[in-house]
Amino acid sequence: MKIGNVDVKVSILAVAVFVIFTFFLLVASLYSPEVRSQLIWLIPALFMLLVIPMALNYMSRREYADMEPQYEAAAKTIRVKMINESMIGKPVRIEGVVERVYFQFLNRPQYLVADRSGAISVKMFTSPAEEVKVNDVVEVLGQVIHRYIVSGDPVINCISIKKLKKPAKDSKS
Amino acid sequence: MSNDNSRDVALLNRRLEYAVPLLSFGGALIGIFFWVTTASVDYRISILGCVLASWVLAYLAWMRPRKDIVALSTPVYSFIFIAVPTDNFSAVILEVLYAASLTILLFRLKSRFGAQVVPTPDKKDLADPAKTYVEKIRETGITSSPGLAHAAAVVFVRFAEGEFSEAVSAADAVIAGPNDGEPSRCLQRAFEIVREQSALLDQSLPAPETFLTFSADEDCMLAKVPDPKYGKLEEYDTALENALLILFATAWNAESDRPHLIQCQAFAQRLLGQ
Repeated sequence: MKIGNVDVKVSILAVAVFVIFTFFLLVASLYSPEVRSQLIWLIPALFMLLVIPMALNYMSRREYADMEPQYEAAAKTIRVKMINESMIGKPVRIEGVVERVYFQFLNRPQYLVADRSGAISVKMFTSPAEEVKVNDVVEVLGQVIHRYIVSGDPVINCISIKKLKKPAKDSKS
Repeated sequence: MSNDNSRDVALLNRRLEYAVPLLSFGGALIGIFFWVTTASVDYRISILGCVLASWVLAYLAWMRPRKDIVALSTPVYSFIFIAVPTDNFSAVILEVLYAASLTILLFRLKSRFGAQVVPTPDKKDLADPAKTYVEKIRETGITSSPGLAHAAAVVFVRFAEGEFSEAVSAADAVIAGPNDGEPSRCLQRAFEIVREQSALLDQSLPAPETFLTFSADEDCMLAKVPDPKYGKLEEYDTALENALLILFATAWNAESDRPHLIQCQAFAQRLLGQ
């Protein structure tokens, strides 16, 4: 669903929760007159299970879209091997091939992106603008962070991930 | 990090791996003993074995670079386990099942979450392979004046921080001279390579058709000798990695900037392929 320029996506998990509770409500309202009398607030509450994740997704997507030009201007294109702990907080741009994709169903995807020098985890805390799959050649824009906020190896907090039509300059041959 | 200390910590951690099943099943056996002999003691005393085993498992999970959230949260479950009142028979059964779960989690941790990282007990010394390479550079005779060594440290640290324009400025100052000592040809070339590639990185430009590399007679001082089979891009990357490592080793051998260099040790180790 598109709101303004933002394509809002609801995770499959939120949809599953909505469907399960709708089923429970239908069954309960069939058998219990007490539940039927409460439908006036139960039905709006049920829809809030969808509306709240959609609103959160819209806000985070808009925030990321606002930040993208700043990162675009400040980030340097580097090879994965150059990313180290001393770069924590620095905006970076990498180009590479997506080797693995995790947690896409939660709208919090995590990618393993590799170039010719190595591979790095790319974490995104909202849904990407376009669907990214394994073997896609991508350009990642983001900030270097610790994997576990204060400790762990350096990973990229992704602001944007775009599919490239051309092969990545730094991708593994 | 001293190698002796690393070995001690590794040995301790291997022993702690045995402690997980020993403590948890040991506690469960004591619980069974109390139950069989109908001893007039609180059976939950034996649960302490599982609590301790949970903490040991959480410590082993914490020491790994990839954290296992399940193993890390076992101390919380163990406290819930000890806090919830149950009858004696249920407590013993739960204890045995919990001990088995902890042992399975230990195997899962070892197989899926990789080798342990031994913590650096002090941040004063280098670990291998950087240590070996730094010693090799000292033996091959790349020495420099304190001023040049400091410049090498500045260029390396600024590059590691992603401050490419500052790395270019610092390298430019050395290349332009005059310096408080004449850099060796190899060191001079290292400054030039880092300067060239930092300038390109600062503008997010790709590898050019022609670029600076080390000459063949400098191979003995390089951490990675370029393979003749390398393509242009591999050759370009290797030149930068070798140049950065020469700067790191030169600066390290001069000693004065070690507190700054040790912070970038992980980057140097990464360049060496760790």
